[in-house]
Amino acid sequence: MRKILLGTTAVVSAVVGAAVMAPEASAQQAPTVRIGGSIQAYWGYIQQSGQQSDPGWSPTTPIGVPGGTGGGAASAPTGVNGSFGRLGKHDFVTIPQFSVIVTGKLANGITYGGNIDLTFNNQEGRAVINRNVGVSRSAPAVDEAYVFIAHPRLGQVRFGDEDGVMGGLMNSGWITGFGTGGVFGVWENFQTRQNANRTQTAPGGLGDNSKIVYMTPQFFGFDFGASYAPNFGSMGQHGCISDAVNTFCDRAYAFRGATDAAIPVRGGELAARRNEWQVAARWRGNLAGVGLSATAGYIGSGTALDMTQTNRQVRTLNGLDVWQVGVQASYMGFTAGASYLWGDLNYFWGNTIRGSRTGEQLTAGLSYTAGPLTVGANFMSGLFEGNAPSTFDVNTGNVTQNATAGRSRMRRWGLGVGANYTLAPGLSLIAEYVHHSIREQGTDQDVGRAGAQNRGFANVFILGTRLAF
Amino acid sequence: MSHIRKNALALTAVAALLAACSNSRFVGNEEYGTDNQRELILRQTGGDPSASGLVVFGVDRSRQNQAAAGGGSGMTVNAFLWRATLDTLSFMPLASADPFGGVIITDWYTPPAADGERFKATAYVTTRQLRSDGVRVQVFRQVNQRGAWVDAPTSAATNSELEDRVLARARELRSQSAGLR
Repeated sequence: MRKILLGTTAVVSAVVGAAVMAPEASAQQAPTVRIGGSIQAYWGYIQQSGQQSDPGWSPTTPIGVPGGTGGGAASAPTGVNGSFGRLGKHDFVTIPQFSVIVTGKLANGITYGGNIDLTFNNQEGRAVINRNVGVSRSAPAVDEAYVFIAHPRLGQVRFGDEDGVMGGLMNSGWITGFGTGGVFGVWENFQTRQNANRTQTAPGGLGDNSKIVYMTPQFFGFDFGASYAPNFGSMGQHGCISDAVNTFCDRAYAFRGATDAAIPVRGGELAARRNEWQVAARWRGNLAGVGLSATAGYIGSGTALDMTQTNRQVRTLNGLDVWQVGVQASYMGFTAGASYLWGDLNYFWGNTIRGSRTGEQLTAGLSYTAGPLTVGANFMSGLFEGNAPSTFDVNTGNVTQNATAGRSRMRRWGLGVGANYTLAPGLSLIAEYVHHSIREQGTDQDVGRAGAQNRGFANVFILGTRLAF
Repeated sequence: MSHIRKNALALTAVAALLAACSNSRFVGNEEYGTDNQRELILRQTGGDPSASGLVVFGVDRSRQNQAAAGGGSGMTVNAFLWRATLDTLSFMPLASADPFGGVIITDWYTPPAADGERFKATAYVTTRQLRSDGVRVQVFRQVNQRGAWVDAPTSAATNSELEDRVLARARELRSQSAGLR
């Protein structure tokens, strides 16, 4: 009987829902515009490989991201007189952020609003980009910027720069609610990139780009989502200032050197990814008092073509083709979860060169909250394409395997243990330790040391505080 | 791969239609993941992202939100129990609801399958904590005898069954609001 009633209600609601597009819809209340933000300040003690190097290289040389399958050439130290410098092991890192949050509600039940998030966290800072442009680490950059419109029965649409449904909005199994997020936290801000020692395969590492997102209401515990982005560029129309197609134009479907843009290059705003689709299905509920959440999803994309050879457009890269499943459970202050992803991707959420092996990653974590204290641990273990195991010959279209044995596999794993103590709503103290390592046979992970180092690692210990308002 | 994307999109479209046509629940912004540091910190430390910060334009509705959550002066009973009680009794017409006193009174309701009887319920939410003894439901029943409604006893289990449903729904609301933190 009650089902009949509910069904009838749903029909009525669907009819009412159709009326929401009526032009006479008026604002019930003026939108609320709120300014908030956060400040994070940490002290870090860093032990990592690649802490010493011969200082004989020129800072005007473009610095790319070594160890990936693209993104520019590594700036290898050039031996001059056998001297070398070391990096300090301590540092303070400050990460400010401003947010503008707009929310409003119409008389017909529609909620709407938007977010603009301004961050001051440009990773390494004075990396020299394109030979002549230096970027300060404190330079502002827009993270998310989107408009949302939501209806209780029809779901929500977000339009603008935002994470996708599998890029962080609907994922399950990523346990990061302790410390700064453990192995997916801020430790990366403390270490240098000599070994490309990053965990970009966290959901947010997929990157913001201008996209449209649709997420359904929840029914019988399930909700679904889909998102689409035409390319990798933030804000859209990125770098397309003339009719000459090149790496810098996010709309170019073919350009010279597309293979090198497999992973984000030139400030993290550009990559060869095109037509990115994400879909997700999530279930939440509770069984015997245990809160459960499970998500399955897919991320796919096309890729730009390489025009390095005159008069030829060659598809040198695989599209993204990534599946992900994750589950998490909460009970009596404990939260445990695990997530597994696999498919065509490299460790930077980038497109792989055709012929490359697929990537896979498992992550799991556990946290416990008792009053103001939360402690937790998480780990990730991934297997990805190695450092240039093969070369795609744009002239012949052939994939040529490099001679060095064992260069087709990069194993990455990390472990994070952390705690945070809440002093007041929005204010907490943080302590965290993270270990992360990369192993790859036949590749030198530490060019500053004699011989080939097949392993690179980082140990980072962090103490700090963060405040959000 | 294109057929996989098409299938996935078709599934999403079907899901959207189902969501629009069946029993659905609005998913709030706080139920989605985020990599916004401000929001992550506020969620982690028990702050409310929708009530923090400086209001520079419009009405500060955070006080209203606090009242709805039972943390302010507007509501003196537990918000999860209150909402769960409203949800559970929503199939009956509502006569009055007093969020300050925690009393919900429904109007008389006749189930379509039982023309000769009608029901009325009174619910009391008595605590600010989410406790199993924080809600009490009393169901009244009348039967139609020769055109006149006459009081009749209800099953002893009816009240406790409704209370159990309220508690289950409250627990569900609680776990959903705590999800993905």
